[in-house]
Amino acid sequence: MATGTSPDVRPRPTTVPAAHPRRRRRSVLHPALWLPTVVAVLLVGTAWTVIAAEQPYILPTLSEVGTTLVDDPGLFVRNAWSTLQIALIGVAWGAGLAFVLALLMSEIPILRRAIMPLAVVLNVTPVIALAPALVVAFGFGMTPKVIVTAIITFFPVLINVTTGLRSVPPPVLHVFSTLHASRFEVLLRLRVPSSLPYTLAALRVVLPLSIVGAVVAEFVAAGSSSGLGTMIRNAASNAQLPHVYAAVACLAAMGVLMLAFTATVERRLLFWHESQQRTP
Amino acid sequence: MSDDRIEVRGLTKTYEGGDPARPALDRVDLDVPRRHFVSLIGPSGCGKSTLLRVLAGLERPDSGHVAVFGSTPERMCAAKAVGLVPQTPALLPWLNVRRNVVLPSRVNRRAGNAAGDPDELLSMVGLEDVARKYPHQLSGGMQQRVAIARAFGIRPDVLLMDEPFSALDEFTREALQLHLLRLWEHMSTTVVFVTHSVREAVTLSDRIVVMSARPGRVHEVLPVDLPRPRGSGVTADPRLHRVEDRVRASLQVAWESGAAPDDLVPL
Repeated sequence: MATGTSPDVRPRPTTVPAAHPRRRRRSVLHPALWLPTVVAVLLVGTAWTVIAAEQPYILPTLSEVGTTLVDDPGLFVRNAWSTLQIALIGVAWGAGLAFVLALLMSEIPILRRAIMPLAVVLNVTPVIALAPALVVAFGFGMTPKVIVTAIITFFPVLINVTTGLRSVPPPVLHVFSTLHASRFEVLLRLRVPSSLPYTLAALRVVLPLSIVGAVVAEFVAAGSSSGLGTMIRNAASNAQLPHVYAAVACLAAMGVLMLAFTATVERRLLFWHESQQRTP
Repeated sequence: MSDDRIEVRGLTKTYEGGDPARPALDRVDLDVPRRHFVSLIGPSGCGKSTLLRVLAGLERPDSGHVAVFGSTPERMCAAKAVGLVPQTPALLPWLNVRRNVVLPSRVNRRAGNAAGDPDELLSMVGLEDVARKYPHQLSGGMQQRVAIARAFGIRPDVLLMDEPFSALDEFTREALQLHLLRLWEHMSTTVVFVTHSVREAVTLSDRIVVMSARPGRVHEVLPVDLPRPRGSGVTADPRLHRVEDRVRASLQVAWESGAAPDDLVPL
């Protein structure tokens, strides 16, 4: 195992700063780190402002969007919370069920052959097409929206956890085998921890996806009264573009927060994994 | 059947899809007395790793008889009497060094969790200072020392080692050989050690089993009559070089008898 990447063991390359300036670790304040981002944001912002000034029905000005947010922040917080609830409950069901099923499938091959084809069919079915039917079946409450979100988030978790549970290197399995470890011990002490990087990678994909699921479900559920999706639909039909973009900004902020959350969890739980090691 | 040795008689093993006329192991006999250190050496394809895997209960032989101290490999494993050190350290990266070493006592508790003191084991391989570190913070040689300490942790009757030092540089390798000898003399375990290195086999072993390839057979068993305990001075002993020459000569014959066209470099 060539994990000689630890900073305290490997001799540090004595880099000549002039010859290899890229080898040095830069502080966050170094312009090379933040300048490209700032320039890109400024460029996009300028383009936006120019377009908004010329064509107010294509884009609202940024200041209009800002004022809308500041005028009634409570409105956006309430609706965002409503959408977030659906997204989180949905992803908890979808990802939770997928994790449990992946565990069961890894131990019971018959179950795997039974479930996998169904899961694949469910995955290729456009859930948006299913959403109106779910609204008919379950009304305008939270249930159909949670179901849509759960279905969207189910499959990536199922596939990743299944792969992760099988990612144990054979020599480690051999050591456990000579210790006569039970299947349960192999699952608990070996397979589940090994699947963690895959599970968290799935969460990284699926958490932002849960917002998509919740918003789409709100679009479809005609009678729903709250949620950013509902708000966007109503504002768009009244041509209130600033409201639409303010709500979109809230959704983007929620997505960023979710990504930041998973990144923190990954750093905490996967400190031992290659993906978290700093490469100078 | 005797309780004081590992006994292999007429062991034949063909891998699925392999040529039945050229089994991986062909009627192999092997005797390893209790508390002896025996090395298996031979060209690639001679079945030395397969033989080790059969002793570890990881493979079932097609025919023949395998007894480990009067028991079967499976029953020895069930009693947690077999330690395995694979070619890679095979540590659990999410556990620190100390937890990796005590891991064997945590699984299969039905066979008891009697274990050596992990801190004593770690200090015997010179790793007492890194007990709280994680595998990714250690060099390859240190990781392999942890794997050795882990294998000794259950005080196994048999220790099976599959080219454990082959991925290491020569200095690290020699240091680890001395660590291993020290632990082995302390624990008086029976060791079956697969290696590619003549020097390593002679330095460590009481007996060297030279194998030939295609089909895998025992070519010759050579005794190593160097005094114990062996320290770093053993490499200067002229007797060591005489044994080395004999092993090399034996390997040459074994290689010629089983050479395939794709083996370009003789040993």
